[in-house]
Amino acid sequence: MAKWDLTNMLGPYLDRHLVFPLLEFLSAKQIYDQKDILEAKLALLNKTNMVDYSIDVTKLLHPNEDAPESFKVRRQEVLNQLHQLTDEASPTLNLLKNDDVMKNISQQRDTKGLLTYLTKEHNFNIENMESMYKLAKFMYECGNYSATTSYLYFYLIVTPPTDKNYLNVLWGKLAAEILGQNWESALDDLNKLKEYIDANTFSNSLQSLQQRSWLIHWSLFIFFNLDKGRDLIIDMFLYRPNYLNAIQTMCPHILRYLATAVIVNRSRRSALRDLVKVIQQESYTYKDPITEFLEHLYVNFDFEGARQKLHECQEVVYNDFFLIACLDDFVENARLMIFETFCRIHQCISIGMLAEKLNMKPDEAECWIVNLIRNARLDAKIDSKLAHVVMGTQPLSPYQQLLEKVDSLSVKSEALIALIERKVKQKSGDNRWGQQQEFNN
Amino acid sequence: MTCPNNEVTLISFAIVLCVSACRVSVFCGILPKFVIFVVTREEPISRQPVATFTFSDDEEDTKRVVRSAKEKRYEDLTNNIKHIRNHKKIKDMSSMLSSFEDLQRAYQKAIPVIQKEENGATPRFYLRCLVELEDFINEMWEDREGRKNMSKNNSKSLTSLRQKLRKYNKDFESELAKFRENPDLADEDEEQPKEQEEDSEDDAPGPQTFKRGPSEGSGTESKSTKPGVDDDEGSDDSMDWGSSSDSSSESSDDEEQYQSIKDRFLKKPSDRDREEEKREKKKERKEKETRRPGGKKKDEEDGEGAWEIVKGGVAIPSEKPKMFAKDAEIDMNLVLKKLGEIVAARGKKRTDRREQIELLHELAAVADAHHLGPAINIKIKLAIISSIFDYNPKVSDAMKPEYWAKLLERISETLDQLISTEDITIGENITEEHEEFDKPPYKVRGCALTIVERLDEEFTKLLKECDPHSNEYVQRLTDEKRVCAIIDKVQKFLERTSVPSDLCRIYLRKVEHLYYKFDPNVIKQKKGELEAGTQTSIQIMDKLCKYIYDKDVTDRLRTRAILAHVYHHALHDNWFQARDIILMSHLQEAIQHSDPSTQILYNRTMAHLGLCAFRHANIKDAHNCLVDLMMTGKTKELLAQGLMPQRQHERSKEQEKVEKQRQMPFHMHINLELIECAYLVSAMLIEIPYMAAHEFDARRRMISKTFYQQLRSSERQSLVGPPESMREHVVAASKAMRNGNWLACADFIINDKMNAKVWDLFYEADKVREMLKKLIKEESLRTYLFTYSHVYASISMETLSEMFQLDRFVIHSIVSKMIINEELMASLDDPSQTVVMHRSEPSRLQSLALQLADKVNNLVDSNERIFEMKQGNFFQRGGIQGPYRQNFNRPGQDWGRARRERGDQQRAY
Repeated sequence: MAKWDLTNMLGPYLDRHLVFPLLEFLSAKQIYDQKDILEAKLALLNKTNMVDYSIDVTKLLHPNEDAPESFKVRRQEVLNQLHQLTDEASPTLNLLKNDDVMKNISQQRDTKGLLTYLTKEHNFNIENMESMYKLAKFMYECGNYSATTSYLYFYLIVTPPTDKNYLNVLWGKLAAEILGQNWESALDDLNKLKEYIDANTFSNSLQSLQQRSWLIHWSLFIFFNLDKGRDLIIDMFLYRPNYLNAIQTMCPHILRYLATAVIVNRSRRSALRDLVKVIQQESYTYKDPITEFLEHLYVNFDFEGARQKLHECQEVVYNDFFLIACLDDFVENARLMIFETFCRIHQCISIGMLAEKLNMKPDEAECWIVNLIRNARLDAKIDSKLAHVVMGTQPLSPYQQLLEKVDSLSVKSEALIALIERKVKQKSGDNRWGQQQEFNN
Repeated sequence: MTCPNNEVTLISFAIVLCVSACRVSVFCGILPKFVIFVVTREEPISRQPVATFTFSDDEEDTKRVVRSAKEKRYEDLTNNIKHIRNHKKIKDMSSMLSSFEDLQRAYQKAIPVIQKEENGATPRFYLRCLVELEDFINEMWEDREGRKNMSKNNSKSLTSLRQKLRKYNKDFESELAKFRENPDLADEDEEQPKEQEEDSEDDAPGPQTFKRGPSEGSGTESKSTKPGVDDDEGSDDSMDWGSSSDSSSESSDDEEQYQSIKDRFLKKPSDRDREEEKREKKKERKEKETRRPGGKKKDEEDGEGAWEIVKGGVAIPSEKPKMFAKDAEIDMNLVLKKLGEIVAARGKKRTDRREQIELLHELAAVADAHHLGPAINIKIKLAIISSIFDYNPKVSDAMKPEYWAKLLERISETLDQLISTEDITIGENITEEHEEFDKPPYKVRGCALTIVERLDEEFTKLLKECDPHSNEYVQRLTDEKRVCAIIDKVQKFLERTSVPSDLCRIYLRKVEHLYYKFDPNVIKQKKGELEAGTQTSIQIMDKLCKYIYDKDVTDRLRTRAILAHVYHHALHDNWFQARDIILMSHLQEAIQHSDPSTQILYNRTMAHLGLCAFRHANIKDAHNCLVDLMMTGKTKELLAQGLMPQRQHERSKEQEKVEKQRQMPFHMHINLELIECAYLVSAMLIEIPYMAAHEFDARRRMISKTFYQQLRSSERQSLVGPPESMREHVVAASKAMRNGNWLACADFIINDKMNAKVWDLFYEADKVREMLKKLIKEESLRTYLFTYSHVYASISMETLSEMFQLDRFVIHSIVSKMIINEELMASLDDPSQTVVMHRSEPSRLQSLALQLADKVNNLVDSNERIFEMKQGNFFQRGGIQGPYRQNFNRPGQDWGRARRERGDQQRAY
């Protein structure tokens, strides 16, 4: 199943620490050789300050050997450095321990006001924030994510967005929140970061493209761990042209997650059309069972192909770190999609064939359809003698078509008129709008 | 200036000879032709092809500074005589008439002088001219055929000239008669040149040998040209025209040589001409005898030696003898100074460009002989190259092939030297003062890049000059390799210094020689038939273009590189890459602001992109790429592959000239019939089902106008025969498709005739044919369902599959798509595998009502849009929809069409 594994593709866009969960997941799935994974982990760890963790991993890798001496030396070094940095940042740290200050911070939302208060009352110097930043970075390297979060929170409150470290701090905070699994606050950080990236034009477009593709990857953690994330991911990836462009040019593999999000999200069926277009465009650079499933179903109407792909999809979803949580949703909705499309084209379907297409047993399928009919999601009857499902939908007569077309007209016009009237009230001088109004009537 | 003037007058001839005498050494080695010439010079009418002589009257004139009255008058006369002779040669009667009148006038003026100088006798050369003219006129007059063919103007002039001449000659009757009796008297005038020539002869051996010292004639060694000329003048002045002493054999030699030179310029001297010339020669000799100054006779043998290898040339030769003094120390400065002198003459009116090239070569040889180092050598070579470029006086004309060959040689030589020499920089920004020739690092002013660019342009011009269907063209085209090699060398040289802007330029040159060539290796590589690591043109293009994208700042280079890159990808069937690059570049929005040649490149790229899409069965994209090219009916012009015939003087001469310059050389042409065929077939595949689906719509949109025109024009014909041309085939196929007859349609599109005409032009023709067949089946099926669904209650898919020879699942997929898109009012019945029709065609009233509803919907939509626009966010939203990728596959919409659609909506509103 390693064929569809994306960890390799995702890795370059993620922070070192963010890759650990992915590796953990992989070792649990046992797709790859355990040893390989451990070695990869160790290689990652060597560049961080999490010496204890690396000692653990080394022990796992070589159960019979003691940890090499170099680790102990390294550990001591890290500790020394930590002390040094803490000393440097101590004035600020002391400040944070002060309850009074904390209260004030939580009350005062304005950066400037807070700054003046701090400088006045507590002899605060903005220059000290540099050491704070370093300490936070170090903490993060050591794996102390919650400390990082709180330090960076303070940093963000105190410094203006023009600060040279501001972007780095935002990224750091986001990473720390993700690793601390504080999804809500991570989402806030994500939005902040998104705003910051969109508002700031980087020196060249390549840089902003890179920032965006990082953001896309990091946000996967949040979107697939939050309930509302499934809506947000569609909004961000599919309907923000900047991000869609980034996906298309830098990382088309993200289409898997986008496709899954769309399939799982029943209320956003309208997004399917746009998604299928994107998938078709990129079909030459990226393909996996999930995108192919959609292609078969909505481009070629090849239900047999879709069925096969659905089977493969289950495996893919099961082995994906982000998607495993929505496996059931995925299968259920994919089935429903096949069935819906089926119903739209057919007026009479045999249950046996349907069951085959849906990867179900005939009895199960019948039961499933009965449930659908009962829940009034399907206008159909079952002819049990012939084991057929007969659709109840009648074709639209021209009269109905006409009605449908004209239906929304008056509402739309009225809304427009209301808008215009409001406008006219604001600027009563403008005559042209008046004419427009008559026109609409 | 290039117009050869063989009618050399006495004085100018003198100078010519003195010039040519000193060229002995040079031409011995370089032009073997001249040796032949020497051998055959006794025959007056030898006709070797000899390089042109380029001395002109103006050049002579500019030189004369101080002249006596006699001098002046005589010169007027001789000039006029010369003109008359020239006109005679081209039989330009009217000009001859006017020249004759001028001559008369000049003679009137000269009478006092003549009285004094010649004791009242009419000068012999004048008489000779009159005699010749008379003979000529008589001859012309008798040639009735010729006279009839003459233009009205000319024949009128001939008549009046004849009358005038008769009248005039009466005054000289006796003298003319005397002259005719004895025309053989040699002209003594030739003696003077002899004299001069003798003088210069002493210096002639020139720089190579230095065995003889400078002699009296140019002993002053003054470097500048002027004094030298004055010198000549001085001796001219000192000529004693009146007295004459002896005739010499060498003078007749002169004469003959002169004669034979002249003959070369005569296109076809008739026997009569020859006789005339002989007579004339004799006359000249006679004259010479009577006038030759006594004291200046010279040793014949010396002269003889010099004469043999003489070559014409006027301007520089006078300074030639002074190239280097015999015992002068040849060092850097001297050579540089000399080079400066020669180069300074460049571009001046009286400079003989050919002469200049020779001089520079000589200088190069001298420099080489004295081992003055590579830098000076390169400097001289650069000068040679630029003077060869300058040889062609007209920018719009191509160079002569022999010079082209020379140029190629020189340039590649120079570049080889440049590359082999370390520590040398050449640049335009190095001023003369900062040049460094003595020791490394050398610095020389010059620019390899401009040379190569110029070379490339000349090459294109040369190609355009040739008839594309001749062998000549093919031969020229073989030089492409050499040009490419030169470009490669320059690239190598420039990569040494690697200045980004220069590199971009040279890379683009290379790209422009590469992009239109098909490399079969690319296809092989794609199939994996080629071993890994082989570099194909795609990779080279990638490398070069990416460098340009990265480093270029001018935008123009980048635009061209992008287009060439896309072209190349499209040529090799890399459809996705080509599409992505062109879409990412956003070129289609701004291309109309770029220069014409880039626009042409854009058109060419679009044509190939269209063909590529066609091969990939992306019919819609193919149509969209090609529609703009085909819509105007001026495909040829848009691709710069030929001019449309002039209609009502649409363009002026200048415009035409400019347009001609833009034309593509033939080997880069794209087959127009192929483009048109691909376009028409894709239009057919889109349009016919659409027509069938919207048969009853009141306001149907035309997708392709050109296609409609073809259809309509065939419908207008009362009798339609079997198709002959490609267009007729497509039209016939369309008609077959309209009836859902896929077999006939496919037969019309794919048959031997069409194969030979178009399809075989594709690299993998069989694949294309297969693809076409499949598409025709599918679209025919759609058309069939649209057209005949109302007569069916249900159709079995089995039948459809048999009818259209398509697999069941393909039928299923197509029908499903039509149902989903609500094109077909039907649904599938799974157990029986049939398509059940719903019979819901609207009545007339209903369909009108539906249309009305559509229009009202449009109205509301556009109102909303206007409101948003007033709010100020209309463009923003447009911008969101704008990015190419989304735009791209939106059904029925595409590059460039969005605008049109908006227009439609506005109209509806």
